[in-house]
Amino acid sequence: MKYFGGCDVGSTYTKAVILDENGKICADTTIKSKINSEESAKIAMKEVLDKVGLNSSEELAYLIGTGYGRNKVPFADENISEISCHAMGVHVTDPNVKAIIDIGGQDVKGISVDKDGTVKNFAMNDKCAAGTGRFYEAMARSFEMSLPEFSKLSLSAKNVIPITAQCTVFAESEVITLVGEGKPMNEIAAGIQMAVAKRCFVMAKKAGATDSITLTGGCAKNDGLKQAIEHVLKLKVIDLPTDPQLMGALGAAEFARQKGLAQA
Amino acid sequence: MRDLKHLIRMEDMLQQANNELVREAREEGRKAIGYTCYYMPEVLLDLPGCFSVRLRAPNCTTPTMATYYMSGRTCHYGRSLMERALEGGFNFLDAQMATETCTVTCRFQEHLQRMNIIQNPDFFVEFTDIPFKKTENSVEHYKKQLQAHVLDKLHEKFGIDTSDEALLKAIEQHNEVCRLITEIGNYRKLAVPTITGYEFSVIMLTSLTCPKDKILPMLRETAEELKTRQPDIKPGWKIKVAVAGAENDDPDFIKLIESCGALVVADRYCYGSLPGREEIVVNEGQPPLDAIARHYLNTSCCPRFMPQDLMRGRKKYLADVCREYNADGLIVESNKFCEYWSYERTIDALIIPRDYDIPTCSIEKEYINSASGQLRTRFQAFVESVELKKLHGQTAKKAD
Repeated sequence: MKYFGGCDVGSTYTKAVILDENGKICADTTIKSKINSEESAKIAMKEVLDKVGLNSSEELAYLIGTGYGRNKVPFADENISEISCHAMGVHVTDPNVKAIIDIGGQDVKGISVDKDGTVKNFAMNDKCAAGTGRFYEAMARSFEMSLPEFSKLSLSAKNVIPITAQCTVFAESEVITLVGEGKPMNEIAAGIQMAVAKRCFVMAKKAGATDSITLTGGCAKNDGLKQAIEHVLKLKVIDLPTDPQLMGALGAAEFARQKGLAQA
Repeated sequence: MRDLKHLIRMEDMLQQANNELVREAREEGRKAIGYTCYYMPEVLLDLPGCFSVRLRAPNCTTPTMATYYMSGRTCHYGRSLMERALEGGFNFLDAQMATETCTVTCRFQEHLQRMNIIQNPDFFVEFTDIPFKKTENSVEHYKKQLQAHVLDKLHEKFGIDTSDEALLKAIEQHNEVCRLITEIGNYRKLAVPTITGYEFSVIMLTSLTCPKDKILPMLRETAEELKTRQPDIKPGWKIKVAVAGAENDDPDFIKLIESCGALVVADRYCYGSLPGREEIVVNEGQPPLDAIARHYLNTSCCPRFMPQDLMRGRKKYLADVCREYNADGLIVESNKFCEYWSYERTIDALIIPRDYDIPTCSIEKEYINSASGQLRTRFQAFVESVELKKLHGQTAKKAD
């Protein structure tokens, strides 16, 4: 049996997936990224290789690196941008999805997907952490909560307290002020989710996304954000049957499978 | 491909505005005349006794001081020029021939005029008003402006000969530069081009920033060299693209695009060669200033012209450029807060793929591209989508 690998070295988490010849996921992992991208890739790859009983990445028929550290994946045959990989990962997971909002550790992307899994159009935020995983880390810290706790906080809110600042630093100050004024925590959280959802709305519209949208990246697991996005986009976000954080690595592995089989 | 003989020297000359050829010309007693916009006809500044320097801001890291004067919500290019002026980077200039075209470069030049920044006692700034239409009245107005604010001032301040004979001589030299740049640029149309977009960008920029007579021998040799230059056996690019948009004088931006697998084969942006390197035609009996005014007003594709026919014409021009240069896609860029191209870029990104079926990538960038990682991801994703669609298209054709 031949195996094909995809390694998505993100700014916050590194993900790896191994597929077999039929495209079935044989192993996957998600680890916290190290400062050194190469080291992150090595650790993640070792975990998935161990799971399928391989000793080294060299034993894979084809390996593709993606994500912010895509050039640093040892033994990778090539690298492909995370935009293409997310599109392909979602396409093989659910071909009905036509658009993606990918919210990673450091950026937000809107991607519209063609029928063949290629990228039709995309939009990406500027060099700013507003509305990204980093932003949520800062917000959760202000609330003295873990990220999973914070992501559910807004679900119980009856009102939304608008947050005016989009900048992570200013938003943190604004939240501290609101908390200090004794405003309900869940309503402040709902304001934060709504502010991020509006940014996602812009990215989705810029990419030409109209319907059949899903979320990928680490923030896809944020229930409060998902609810806010459904509210601003006025549609139901499609839930993927596979961990949405793995879509980049899965897409890379699928590209590796297609290229590896074409080479054989 | 074999290295071009003059490329490294040309790259060096782009490291500072006051480069070795500029210094050489000034030591000969010639006057250095700065300008920023295509509408200031460089040919008028290249009359005997003076030479044109289209301003860039190499070595500007961040326009911190300029932001104090010009606000953070203005075009980064204008602010970077101001920063370099404040740092002393333009003290070699003898005059600045300013144009009332895009607002922020205009503001920058007003600061030069009012703040005594340039440490040169003879330095002066003169503004020329540029029409917003391309009618006969506009040509007349433009001619009068060029006569009063450029030719008369050069004569009055520096004793420059601005006679028709001198203008014709300058046109002759200018046209040779245009012919050579066009000849060099035409190698980008080949199925496998024998010049990269980066190399062409360096050559083109030196032709804008160095005295023409001094850069001409290098251009001639480069054109000769390219006649026999062979392409790489296995070229490193996956697709070809045209780049269009706002002010771009950074060859490293082109290099970044090319490092993502897209060979840049056409340059329709401010400081690019399309349009801008067409020869000036002087008809029998036509005054040279009339030919110059008509040439610059009519060849420009600047988005400051709003009539519907001109706006539509610009889209068609872009599509024609893509076809002529065999580009698989178009990258349309603008600098953040660019007043004209922000709109034009948005419209191009909608119209070009819809009406001309050309894949288009829209990029808002900074003058100093520090966020190269994000730009790389965007370009790479664009290249991959165009490449995959090409491959799928070929597979489908074979299947038919």
